[in-house]
Order: sequence, then structure tokens, then C-alpha cells
Amino acid sequence: MSEEDHDVEKRRGFLRQLVGAGSALPLAPGLAGTVIADMAVAVAEPAAAETAVQPQAASPVAGYICFGPEEAAFVEALVNIMCPADEFTPNGVDCGLATFIDRQLGGDFGRGAKRYSRGPWLAGKPQHGLQLPLTPEQHFKAGLAAANKASVAKYGKGFDEIAPADANQFLTDVAAGKFEDPRLSLALWFNELVYPLFTQACFADPIYGGNADKVFWKMIGYPGLPATNAVNMIQYRGKPVPQAKDPKSIVDFS
Amino acid sequence: MQKLPKKTVVIVGGGLTAGLAARQLTAKNVEVLVLERGGSHAGSAAATLPGQRDELRWDSHQGLVQDWSIETYTLRHNGNETALPARWMEAFLPGEGLGGAGNHWNGHTWRWSEYDPQIRTRYETRYGKQAIPKDVSLQDWGTTYAELRPYHELFEKLFGLSGKAGNINGVIQPGGNPFEAPRDGDYPQKPLEITESGLVFKATAEKLGYKPFPTPAANSFGAYVNPDGQKLAACQYCGHCERFICEANAKATPQVLLYPMLAERKGFEVRLRCHVLGLIYDEGGKRVTGVRYVDLLNGQEYEQPADVVILGAFTMMNTKLLLTSRIGKPYDPLTQTGVVGKNFCYQASSNMSLFMKDRWFNPFMGAGSAQLCIDEFNNDNFDHAGLGFLGGASISAAVYGSRPIKTRRLPPGTPRWGTEWKRANAEWYAHSMGLNAAGSCYPHRDNYLDLDPTYTDAYGQPLVRMNFDWRGNELAMSKFVTEKMNGIAKAAGADIVGPANPLKAPFDIRVYNTTHITGGTVMGADPATSVVSPRLQHWDAQNLFVVGASVFAHNAGYNPTGPLAAMALRLGDDVASYVDRPRDL
Repeated sequence: MSEEDHDVEKRRGFLRQLVGAGSALPLAPGLAGTVIADMAVAVAEPAAAETAVQPQAASPVAGYICFGPEEAAFVEALVNIMCPADEFTPNGVDCGLATFIDRQLGGDFGRGAKRYSRGPWLAGKPQHGLQLPLTPEQHFKAGLAAANKASVAKYGKGFDEIAPADANQFLTDVAAGKFEDPRLSLALWFNELVYPLFTQACFADPIYGGNADKVFWKMIGYPGLPATNAVNMIQYRGKPVPQAKDPKSIVDFS
Repeated sequence: MQKLPKKTVVIVGGGLTAGLAARQLTAKNVEVLVLERGGSHAGSAAATLPGQRDELRWDSHQGLVQDWSIETYTLRHNGNETALPARWMEAFLPGEGLGGAGNHWNGHTWRWSEYDPQIRTRYETRYGKQAIPKDVSLQDWGTTYAELRPYHELFEKLFGLSGKAGNINGVIQPGGNPFEAPRDGDYPQKPLEITESGLVFKATAEKLGYKPFPTPAANSFGAYVNPDGQKLAACQYCGHCERFICEANAKATPQVLLYPMLAERKGFEVRLRCHVLGLIYDEGGKRVTGVRYVDLLNGQEYEQPADVVILGAFTMMNTKLLLTSRIGKPYDPLTQTGVVGKNFCYQASSNMSLFMKDRWFNPFMGAGSAQLCIDEFNNDNFDHAGLGFLGGASISAAVYGSRPIKTRRLPPGTPRWGTEWKRANAEWYAHSMGLNAAGSCYPHRDNYLDLDPTYTDAYGQPLVRMNFDWRGNELAMSKFVTEKMNGIAKAAGADIVGPANPLKAPFDIRVYNTTHITGGTVMGADPATSVVSPRLQHWDAQNLFVVGASVFAHNAGYNPTGPLAAMALRLGDDVASYVDRPRDL
């Protein structure tokens, strides 16, 4: 296995998670052959799979509610590029970032809750904010398809299959507006939809599925809850706050 | 449409101004009905632990803010453009639900400069008749600080402000704001604890010869009982103030200090989930007879008759109801005639970041008004001769809580993702602080509100159209003050100083600025240039009153709450007197 292949394999954590989920797995047709074989094994031996895979606090509920397999592969590649495993955190998938984005797009946010959606629809200035009849979920998926197309045009492969360095450059170029699809602005898609979801996935309370094990809060030293700091304000003014090393989330107080 | 039994006073909007006016009215046994479009947040996840500490829900997703799918605003920067609706508004955040924006405010509570209500006179006296450019429609308010002063005193006691007096009866007090309008005495409570970044700011500002002081705060320093016997608990510096409800009852809000008390008073009623559609106007009789509203609990429309109607909704809604009900002449920028919608102003802000490796700023420990400030470059506190602009800004170092989705300061040049992005977050989150310039915004002939010709709200009514941009005066002011802020930043001994970017046009709805939009129904002594009288009585409907920042004829470099609260209290007294003896006040 070449290094590149290995990386692709790593980024396909989505499929491995499906396997790991074992008994809860809905059998989706059309997945890549090797994985179907793995799945068959997993399904054939549910007891073994259940005993082998311990539930992880880091990823409370595996699986996706609004991504199809190819969309999941794209998003997993995306979050693993934007959040590679390093001395600070595990990779994006293991941090729950893809899960977070999936849940957001599959819920109120994805359906455009609280967004004004009456026409007419006209092109505005960037300062008017996005002027799209699409819901955020639809927008996310349309942009994803357009980005994948741009990736195929440039690299001959979909985004989840290109080498990490290329993928990183690709995202940089998308953000800078270098791959404008004639029907859809990829720069706006990335900067105003994908990027905010990414930072929310990292830093929102883990109850939403991202920031697994409060890993990003630990990274920056954000103590989370309960944040009753009347004493800390004085005791730790200008000094490190002990609670920042062991953050607590809504989950810990529920 | 069913006609309901008449009420003496009906107030549109259940926020801060309604609560304060109702306090005065019900104390004199005047019957009051408040119509609020939202529900009550009391006891909800928004107001209790642990749900209260949810940045995604209450901040990113604007859980306490107006539902833009129901009603938003359109924007055009100039008259030759087509306005487009904000599909999702970030720039300012009107509240929804009992308490209004008073639920999620930060608590900065200023008295404005003593000369603010005479701003035009002030500038013309100091710099000559030519000093105010033709297209800057500054005008006097028809009232004075002296008239409002007793109500400032009362409001500050009711809301238990924490602060340091700077001017007691004309005697300048060390440690306070030397530019402060004269006060009767100290603030009801001591100032909030100073943050580490406040210490840096204070030392630097003093080194430069400025007079730093703590911003007057409606975050309670300690346990406090107000003159009504209503209680505040001590602030916990939890960092979830602005955009959140304080679960500790340490932020002074209408929901903590006013509505529970009013609920016990005879003749007081709040009707939640009632969306007011319009006023019923008797143009010939120059009065209103009541309001029309939809009861969201059953979808039915009702007529609510009233002896007196008070508009106490958010700035935009006060203006909208006058426009849709055709009360008063709409402003026309071409002829500069008409009044409804004119002098729409905002707040001209800029900010920057400082990075200091060896200082632990712990930015998650903060409060809405945990802020050190200087006022040397605000308003007309400095000589504007030859500067080419009017107005100014306060410069401050604030710690609101740096919740991590939104507020992580990163040095310039940091990549937007990847390991180096993480490294910068890890290195600088606890070791960075911000400076902010919160500036005035003076009226401009082309900045105004009207009704959008195309877009409608969920009730089928036109949206309010913002005709607004940052004009030359504000851009020049921001450039000047941002450079002063940069001077402080450079003197602070930081390892890295972020860019000092002044305000830029065009106005951008995607970025939070402040919720301090003002004007549209301005007060004044001249009916030709104002919607309401100096006593907030509508010139074209004697029993209609308007209160809130919508009556401000300009916006100063201060938050609007102090004056609008003082005016709401005064209005309560005025309307009680009016109910006794209806007349031009």
C-alpha cells in the first residue's frame, strides 16, 4: 500500500465506523467492494463485533443521518485535512467533526431554521449575506458536488482520493475563489457555510457530537462549565486556571 | 375581528422600556396591558444550568433573537440600489420574548454626555455654524440632561449599577470618568473586579496620560436589593452574558427586576405571543383608538382598544408600526421633508488584538461589562477643529467571556486550519486580549428607514428597509480613533499587535457590530423635524407615545440603555399625568 493509498484508507474512517457499528448497521447497497466484504463479516458475527468494539465516549453515536456514503467520504476527508491527527488532537473524524456537521445539516440548521426565505431572489453584494433559496443542507451538498467536480477536473480524482497535500492546497484554492463553478460560488460555499461549521464542530459543546472528549477545549485551555468564576477572578487573575486543564461540558452536568 | 374590552394604557413590546414605564404607571394605579410577540424564557434551558452555557444554541444560532424567517430587514447602501433582505442577520440582534433584548444584553449603562441632547447647538457654538456638514442632519433633542438626571439616578438604583463615579455634582472623582455627566453620588455598587487585560489597559492608558475607568455595569458586583425590594445576586464572571440570559440573576434585566414585580400589581397584564399588526388611527381626531394584533395561540386577529398607546418595541418595529399605520409623514431624502424613518443611526466600531506570551488573560472569565475604558476621544470630549469629522469613540479593553466558537484571537498570518492553526489557538487563546473603539454615528440625509416595496414578513406586511451605509464622517472618525487605539496597543508592550483596521464601507450585515441602532421616530421641539415631542408624545396623535432608542436623534459613542431607560421612567410619570388630564404635554 503506498503512502497515498494508506492515507485515503485512513480518511475513509466513515466506512470503518459503519463496520464498527456492527449490529446497528443498515445495509446500504453500492458501497465499495472491499468494504462490503468487511461489512458482511461484521454482520455475520455480530456478537464478536459487539464484544470487540467498546462504545467510545469520544464518538457517542456513530453513523450519519444526512450524508450518503460519498458525501460522508468527502466530509471525512475534509475534516481530516482541516484537522489532521497531530500533537494537539486526533484526526477530524475521531474528534467527531464529521458527526457534528452531519447532525447540524440534518437538523434545524440544515433546514434553514430562522432564515428568511421569501423571494424574489436577486444577486446582492457579499455584505448582504448569502442570497440563496437553498437550505444550508442543500447548499452544503450542492457545493460538495461542485467541489468534487473541480477536484476531478484538476487532479483526475474525487476530493477524498487526492493526496493530503493536494487536498490542503485544493481547499486553500477553493477558499480563495480559484475554482469558481459557473452555477455556484465555491468560495462563498466554503467561507460562509463550510468554514463556520468546521469551527463550530471544533469548539461547540461536545453534546452536539463534535469536540469529542473536549479535545479542542483542552487544547486552548477553555474550562467550559460551570464557569462560576467569582473566586477564580481574584485567585487566578494573571495566572493559569486549574479548571482549564480538565474542562467540563453540558454532558458532565446532565 | 373581535373587539376586546378597552384598556387604559396598551404598550407594544414587552422589553425594558415597557417594564420601566409600567412600573411608574402601575404605581399610580393606572391600568397597563403589555403585548409581547414572544413567550417567556423563565425556567427554560436558556435561563438555567447547564443549558444556559451553550454557545452554539444561544450565540451562533441566535436562540434568543428575533426569528428572521418571520421578519427581517432589507438593506441598500444607496438610493439607486435594490434593497435585499438579510436572510440571516448578524449585525444586530433584536430580542424576542418577555424582556426583549434586555434578556441578552451586556449591561453597559452610560449616561451620555451632558451636552448630547443639545448636540447641534454644542458643535455650532464651539466650532461655528459651518462646522456641521450639510448632509449631517444633527439636531437637538428638545430635552436636557438636567431633565432626565433624576430618572438616571432612579434607573441606576433600580438596576443596581456597579461602577466608579467620575463626576459628583461637578467635582471630578479620581478613578472615574472625568467626562461623565454630573451625578448625585456614587454608583449603587462598587465596580466589577478588574480583569488581567483591564490591568494592562489601565497601566498603559495611565502611562499615556489618559484617565481609565471601569465601564458602568448592570452586572451586579455583589448581592443587591433595589428600592422595589427586587434582588440581584453577585456576578460569577461566567462569560455568558451578551446573547445569554443570566441564570444567576446577576445581570439586571426586566425579567429579573421588573416583570415578576409587575405581575403582582393590580391592573397590570402581559399578554404573551401577541404580534401587533398596526395601530388604529383616527387621523381627523389626531388620536389612536387602539391596536390590532394576532394572538399566536389561536391565530385570530383582535382589536384592542386603549385610551393611550405606547410604542415600546425595538427601534425598527416602532418605526414600522408608524409607517404601516400611516401616522406621521414618512421621511423623503430627496426633499428632506417628512419625519418618520429619518436620522437612522448605528454605531461606528473597530477593534484590534494584542498578544502577550507571558500574561495569563484567561479570557473565559469575564462579564458583559467587565471593561476598562477611556473617554478622551469620545463625542466632543476633544477638540475637533481641523480634524474634518465630528464625534468619537470610547476605547476599551473588555472581557465578555471569549467563548471559543466565536472569540479566539489569532496573530495575523495564522493559517485557517491544520496543525499550525491549532498551534496558534493553543498558544494564544489564554494570552491575548482585545481593544475596542465604540463610536458615535451621526445622522446623514441618506441614512433612513422606510417600507420595502417588495419583501414582506410572515404576516404579509412590508419589511422595514434600511437605507444605510457608513458615510464620510463616521469613516474619518473611525480612522482617527482607531489610530489612537493603535497608540495604546503599541504602548502596551505586546509581543504581537494585530492590525488596526478602522471601519470600512459598505455596511456588512454578516458581522456583528452592536445592537445599538437608533432613530426613525426621533424626538424634538419642532414637528417639522421630529416624530414625537420632547415628552415623547406623537405630534399627530396626542394619545400615542413612542419610547426607546428610536427617539434618539443621533447616536453617541455610548450604549443607548441609560438614556432610553431614563426616558421610559419619565414617560411612565408623564402618561400617568396624561391619563388624569389628556393634553399636549
